[in-house]
Amino acid sequence: MTTLLIILFGYIVLLLVLSRLGTVGKKIALYSVLILVALIMLIPFYLMFVMSTLKTNEIYSFPPILTFGSNLATNWKNMNDSINLMRAFGNSCKVTFSYVILTLLFCSMGGYAFSIYDFPGKKQLFRILLATMMVPATAGMIPWFILMSKLGWVNDFKALIIPGCANAFGIFWMRQYCQNNVPRALMEAARIDGCSEWTIFFRVIAPILLPAYASLGIMNFVNQWNEFTQSLLILKKARFYTLPLLLRSMVSDRGNDYGAIMLASTCAVLPLLVIFLFASKYFMSGLTAGAVKGE
Amino acid sequence: MPKYEKKGFFATLYQYRVAYAYIAPFYILFLIFNLFPMISGFVLSFFRWDGLSDMHFVDVQNYVNLFKDPLFWKALYNTLFIGIIAHIPILLGGLILAYILNSNLVKGPNIFKTIYFMPMVTSAVAITIIFSNMFGYNYGLLNWFLSLFGEAPINWLGGDGSLIKVAVIVMFAWKWIGWNMVIYLAGMQGINNDIYEAAAIDGANHVDIVFKVMIPLLKPIILFTLIQSTIGMFNLFTEPFVLTGSSWTGGTNNGALTLMIYLLNKAPQGGTLYGYASAVAYVITIMIILISTVLNRVTEDREPKGAKR
Amino acid sequence: MKKTLALILTLVMALSFAAIAHAEPNTDISGYIEVGGWPSGDDGFKAAMDGFNEMYPNIEVELVFTDTTAHHQSLQTSLAAGSGAPDVAMVEGAYIAQYKNSLALCDLNQFGAQDYKDDFGPFKWNQAISDDGTRMVAIPWDLGPTLLYYRSDVFEEVGLPTDPDEVTELFSTWDGFLEAAEKVSIPGQRWFLPSAAYPYQWLFINRDYYDEDLNLVLEREGDIECLEACLKIRENGWDMNVDMWSTEAYAAYQAGTCVCVAAGSWFSGFLKTDIDPDGAGHWRAVALPAGMPATNWGGSFLVIPEQSENKEAAWAFLTYMLCTSEGQNAMFKAVDYFPAYEPAWTAAPELYEEGDPYFGGQAPNKLAAEIAGQVPAVYNTIMDTTAEGYIYSAFNAGAEAGETPEQIRERLGNDIETACAELKLQQIQVLKDAGVWDGE
Repeated sequence: MTTLLIILFGYIVLLLVLSRLGTVGKKIALYSVLILVALIMLIPFYLMFVMSTLKTNEIYSFPPILTFGSNLATNWKNMNDSINLMRAFGNSCKVTFSYVILTLLFCSMGGYAFSIYDFPGKKQLFRILLATMMVPATAGMIPWFILMSKLGWVNDFKALIIPGCANAFGIFWMRQYCQNNVPRALMEAARIDGCSEWTIFFRVIAPILLPAYASLGIMNFVNQWNEFTQSLLILKKARFYTLPLLLRSMVSDRGNDYGAIMLASTCAVLPLLVIFLFASKYFMSGLTAGAVKGE
Repeated sequence: MPKYEKKGFFATLYQYRVAYAYIAPFYILFLIFNLFPMISGFVLSFFRWDGLSDMHFVDVQNYVNLFKDPLFWKALYNTLFIGIIAHIPILLGGLILAYILNSNLVKGPNIFKTIYFMPMVTSAVAITIIFSNMFGYNYGLLNWFLSLFGEAPINWLGGDGSLIKVAVIVMFAWKWIGWNMVIYLAGMQGINNDIYEAAAIDGANHVDIVFKVMIPLLKPIILFTLIQSTIGMFNLFTEPFVLTGSSWTGGTNNGALTLMIYLLNKAPQGGTLYGYASAVAYVITIMIILISTVLNRVTEDREPKGAKR
Repeated sequence: MKKTLALILTLVMALSFAAIAHAEPNTDISGYIEVGGWPSGDDGFKAAMDGFNEMYPNIEVELVFTDTTAHHQSLQTSLAAGSGAPDVAMVEGAYIAQYKNSLALCDLNQFGAQDYKDDFGPFKWNQAISDDGTRMVAIPWDLGPTLLYYRSDVFEEVGLPTDPDEVTELFSTWDGFLEAAEKVSIPGQRWFLPSAAYPYQWLFINRDYYDEDLNLVLEREGDIECLEACLKIRENGWDMNVDMWSTEAYAAYQAGTCVCVAAGSWFSGFLKTDIDPDGAGHWRAVALPAGMPATNWGGSFLVIPEQSENKEAAWAFLTYMLCTSEGQNAMFKAVDYFPAYEPAWTAAPELYEEGDPYFGGQAPNKLAAEIAGQVPAVYNTIMDTTAEGYIYSAFNAGAEAGETPEQIRERLGNDIETACAELKLQQIQVLKDAGVWDGE
């Protein structure tokens, strides 16, 4: 351990010295920290990609092989022999898209109603809504699960989609957005034109909410796409597995082809990662939406 | 608030039907899928029931046994330990990185932001699979790295079980540091540059600026991230579970047994002790509410002037 | 006189009809059934499916398979919920104690399960009978006579005997076992066992942790000597120190860097199809070392949930697969699930006695049959699976802390009692409900 500590200490001293050496020194110091952290962030991804091209016994060799191998095609074949990746991908899509669409619909409706309409009990109802955000779902977890079994929703995507699709956070967040961005004059004009309240919502309001839909949608999409704990409770049969469940089943039961497992992990991670790289700005603002409120 | 005409319940409901229809989905779903399970969970926590045979009323025995169970305390200790230790790199690292990226010396901060944020969009299961490989005893990357410095291999995931926590902490920090960084950076960019200049004129150095100017202004945001991660900490399940090879004991010596693994092991995942598990769930819930309330209080009392919350 | 004769004749005829009816079941049963389990049970069923379809052309079978843990959780849920369970479900040996009193499963006695009593050994048969002795919820599928598999190619390379008889002789004492461990191991590169904890676990692999008064019984003959050997293996770095089911261990079995592993005889199938498919000739099998008693490791059962809408077809499927020699042997041939149905052993002796090319001409099944005959009936509880999880953990923790064998045993006892406290209360409740619990 001493060698490592000395190296670490030396690096810190070097940083301090560099930062005294004017702008160029400072720049070098700052960039070295940024690049070091970036490497730490990237190594697991890189390893995953590398291992998906290696044979299992190459992965389990010492020292580890850190360059791309030649076994990609075989891993691909073995992976497709043992699991149905496309089915899991389809399942993940089904669950995630239905969930996101319903969430956006119900949350924007609720947020809109709370911000625009006046109706008896509004204050109290909103207070209840805020209070529910404080109570974690853990409390009712066991009966929730029994309820799902009684409804016959075990092994049914409904159990993952419906219970959470009108959530307090989404409504709260949409309300904030509506309050700052929906011009009431526009609604009045539409009403005078004889539009029904539904039409106003879908034709006039929804387009205004597009940026909010994007943020909330991305947040819910990423969370649901990677959701594991609840899916593990509900989806027990292989033909309903989503990608995270498929990956777990590959390691937990007689998993011996690590190359194929790594390739499957890569396939599960890559689509979202690529989309993220192209639209990272939206992802970051979406996923941190709760913190920077009321835009 | 406008005054409403006093009418019958149904008449009111009808008059404001559009508004009620818009907010109804939340309340209906909440009643069915949250409130009802929560209440029945409370009732169930006073019974012994395996899901198949008769239910037996056992008074508060489930709660008493829970508090007497050393494994419960161990799970609580592990959860808090992992949560608290992991927050040191997450908070400090997040702040430092945000501060560096906020500096006008750094060009192209978006590339770094994007890279740091990548773990947040990645499936925890996939990440855990690759980390369990990196932490491997005989072939792991980390032990190879140590061997370059002449160190003996370390049994991260086995041994006496205490190092599994380290692995979980590393993964946890690795995942959340980018998220925190982005939030802090947004907060820093919201602070008016005049403040820094004023501080600089007063002869303040970087450390002073960070601790005396920036952190007080960012306090609400920092506390927000803390509340979020506290809830995340109590729900910690995927990482230790997959890292220990789907083990319900949380590895050797229950080294990475978290509260959520403890709960799910009782029911409905590992076992069938539905009543007991409901008691566990209630105790965890109360702890989460307590901690978030305390943190919320802290925010409200010390709301600094100038920062918008 | 004539009357008596007529009566006797009628009786004889009736009896012989009954016998025929038993041998030739109603093959007109029709319908659709879903069969649930985990791999490689599906491969087994597929291998026997042609015979089944020939006999019952009108029954349509769908196989719904997933991993072991997920399957049992799913079964548990759907039984509690009252819907969603398959018509026939596999249940692993470790889980059977959870189900044997369950009213959510059919009492198979109503179909005449007792007719087959003599065809099965008592170890498995008794595990499927409810605590009050009135109901039978499962029929045993396979046994898992515990075998110790070793890489003969590595043994040869380091100058150890490779012939199973000689290896048995060498392994008859812990000294011999440790001698082999020392010879094959190259610390950091090649290891004798996946983990030094396993020899200790072999002592408990019948999963008989508790006696009928629910006292934890950890003291076994030779357990201290066994633990001493385990500790020696750990101290010298002769084990990989990983879980035997981990990917890392699997890769090492295949690469010949982990040389010994013990499991139920179903592991032969794992080796052939998954772990080391190209490794014909690498492996041999012997009985457990140092005079450890004959034990059974796992092996599964089939059950019919009460909610099944086609119980008759389900029973037809179950009996064809498990209670006929064709069914059992077809599956045995495909996936090495050693039949619990004993007549199958004599119906196709070649399957059990002939040398297996994969095992270099050795016949591990012959050894398995010998071991199977010696396994005693044991008592199982719902605590068993949890208890088993702690052996590996307690040994590792104890070894790390430098404890003596006695201390490790004590640690294990504490760990199990702590982790099983609530389960034990549940088990007592179940026994009380069944009316067979005298204590408080």
